Amino acid sequence: MAEVEFDQASRIYTAGAKPAVNRLDLEIDDGEFVVLVGPSGSGKSTALRMLAGLEEIDGGQIRIGGRNMVGVPSRDRDIAMVFQNYALYPNKTVGENMAFPLKMRGVPREERVTKVKAAAEILGLSEYLDRKPRALSGGQRQRVAMGRAIVREPQVFLMDEPLSNLDAKMRVSTRTEIAAMQRRLGVTTVYVTHDQVEAMTMGDRVALLKDGELQQFATPAELYDKPANAFVAGFIGSPAMNLFTLPVSEEGVRMGSSELALPRALRSRIADAGLSTVQLGIRPEQWSVGSDATGSGVKAQVDVVEELGSDAFLYAHLDDGEQTPVVVRTGGRSGARRGDQIALTPTSEDLHLFDPSTGERV
Amino acid sequence: MTVTAERPAELTPRRPDRGPGSRADGWIRRAPLLPALVFTIIVTQLPFLFTIYYSLQSWNLVRPGSRQFVGLDNYILVFTDSQFRQVALNTVLLTAGSVLFSLILGLLFALLLDRAFLGRGFIRTLLITPFLITPVAAALLWKTVLFDPTYGLINFVLSPFGAGDTDWISTFPLTSVMVALVWQWTPFMMLLILAGLQSQPHDVLEAARVDGANTWGVFREVTIPHLRRFLELGIVLGAIYLINTFDAIYMMTQGGPGTASANLPFYIYQRAFLGFDIGQSAAMGVVVVVATIIVATFALRLIFRSFSGGEET
Ligand SMILES: Nc1ncnc2c1ncn2[C@@H]1O[C@H](COP(=O)(O)OP(=O)(O)OP(=O)(O)O)[C@@H](O)[C@H]1O
Ligand SMILES: [Mg+2]
Repeated sequence: MAEVEFDQASRIYTAGAKPAVNRLDLEIDDGEFVVLVGPSGSGKSTALRMLAGLEEIDGGQIRIGGRNMVGVPSRDRDIAMVFQNYALYPNKTVGENMAFPLKMRGVPREERVTKVKAAAEILGLSEYLDRKPRALSGGQRQRVAMGRAIVREPQVFLMDEPLSNLDAKMRVSTRTEIAAMQRRLGVTTVYVTHDQVEAMTMGDRVALLKDGELQQFATPAELYDKPANAFVAGFIGSPAMNLFTLPVSEEGVRMGSSELALPRALRSRIADAGLSTVQLGIRPEQWSVGSDATGSGVKAQVDVVEELGSDAFLYAHLDDGEQTPVVVRTGGRSGARRGDQIALTPTSEDLHLFDPSTGERV
Repeated sequence: MTVTAERPAELTPRRPDRGPGSRADGWIRRAPLLPALVFTIIVTQLPFLFTIYYSLQSWNLVRPGSRQFVGLDNYILVFTDSQFRQVALNTVLLTAGSVLFSLILGLLFALLLDRAFLGRGFIRTLLITPFLITPVAAALLWKTVLFDPTYGLINFVLSPFGAGDTDWISTFPLTSVMVALVWQWTPFMMLLILAGLQSQPHDVLEAARVDGANTWGVFREVTIPHLRRFLELGIVLGAIYLINTFDAIYMMTQGGPGTASANLPFYIYQRAFLGFDIGQSAAMGVVVVVATIIVATFALRLIFRSFSGGEET
């Protein structure tokens, strides 16, 4: 087991092009479960593959257990990787697949058999040990790939979207299994996904990447409550946070025809930053909905109602002349319908403010 | 072939009495193929029947009036003919040797071409060229340009080392022919194996590296199992073509000295068209056909297994 450190690590695929991973800095503690998340093409897989030794490190360093990994081949890094398409050896049986990393490290035969049996027991694969991967279901293959990783007892687990080929239900159950297994084994894990729900539910900490640059590296709660910039704010949370760029006024900000009063603390932060317009972020659950007649609040018109049972999402647009879309979460059976006029007031003091030019949190 | 027999009886669909799938419908579909079938029978099966008929006769063209029915005498002669046995052995050696060496060389070149390096496309074209040369021309090239004792390139290159006066073709006739055949067949094997190498899934190779395999480990544990069916296919196709080799032998050695470099097709040709012994060579032909059928059935099995995708465990 070991801590993992990305120290200004970069990967440039084609000389002159933008780096796929740009000066990435991450310090991952021993035994921690870290999720790399980000939109497609953000460099998550590249970062993981650099750690695995499958891509060159073109700049900076990556350290595992304090040892610099630049120039160290994969086989000497003491890592195990689970691939998106599992990458099982098609000509080997399940048992041979799981034993392969041990065999390559010269573990004697009896010990291999014992370890594979034990791992197969945990994963419920005992009866499939003699089958070829081709004769397994997707979920079983996924578990063989996991098994191949855990028999090794490596210093670090690397997983690149290991759940993306499973159906929705399997994904949820396997998600918890993997998280539980990692906690039990206590092996440092780096996990790549593009699914923010996976990231938020599994990770001790989450690193959010965009265009090869680290946006924020924090616990899921912090990522949600204190997004470092407007991109993080929009990426984390489903449905996404409402973001409005608004002119600053005396009491707060102007939203269409109405004035949205902001708490004193927020106002002073805007003043300190010297902004005349500000990007305001309000999560769907940070609104309270009144009927139009009550008067106060921002006027909006409901376009779509998504009834989920326990709660409902209203997709509306503001009466500000620009039809700015807004998402609101209300309790289930809210009774709202398409075309309803509503008045929205922010309930929370913890609204998010970003500098409209840089996107940074104010 | 055997698949139908193994299928459980209740799964075999019943043939409807009329309409699509019925016996009459089957004939309507196949009838247009009939002329082709008849033609094939005329040009392949009738000559074979004639050959069998001739093989039961004693018939030498240079002795008119000698033709008579002798039963299986010709066959007895075939099996007691020590030259025939020698030539059969030559055939096996030549075929197996050429296939094996071109397979090994092809594998090496394919491994080379599977990695990126400067000028790869150019090298690949150069490596394929021998396969595109007419076999007769290739044999002539080896005989005159390379192996010739007086102006051959090989002796020219070796002469500074004091070893430049070997008459390669008469000293090592079978090996010389084999060298020319290997030269010509290596590109075929190389292309086949290269296709195999390039169809390897990348992530499996990467997984093997992460799992601790070094280059040799990846090759032995992942690449070779993957290539197995490509290698099998190369062996079978190579053997089918090379067992019939005639042009290289005819051009380079004429089967000589003696029968040292003759294979079965060439020997039969010699007996029929130089020795004019029709009965005897017909009997040899029949023996070779029967032997080939036995080997080919075995070989076809292998091909079918390669293509069907099913593997034995
Ligand atoms: N082998 C390669 N050669 C050149 N560019 C590459 C290569 N692999 C990836 N890239 C580029 O690097 C960037 C990051 O790719 P990467 O595969 O890391 O993205 P990702 O975050 O894993 O995306 P996804 O969620 O779609 O898997 C992309 O812009 C991609 O086009
Ligand atoms: Mg990826």
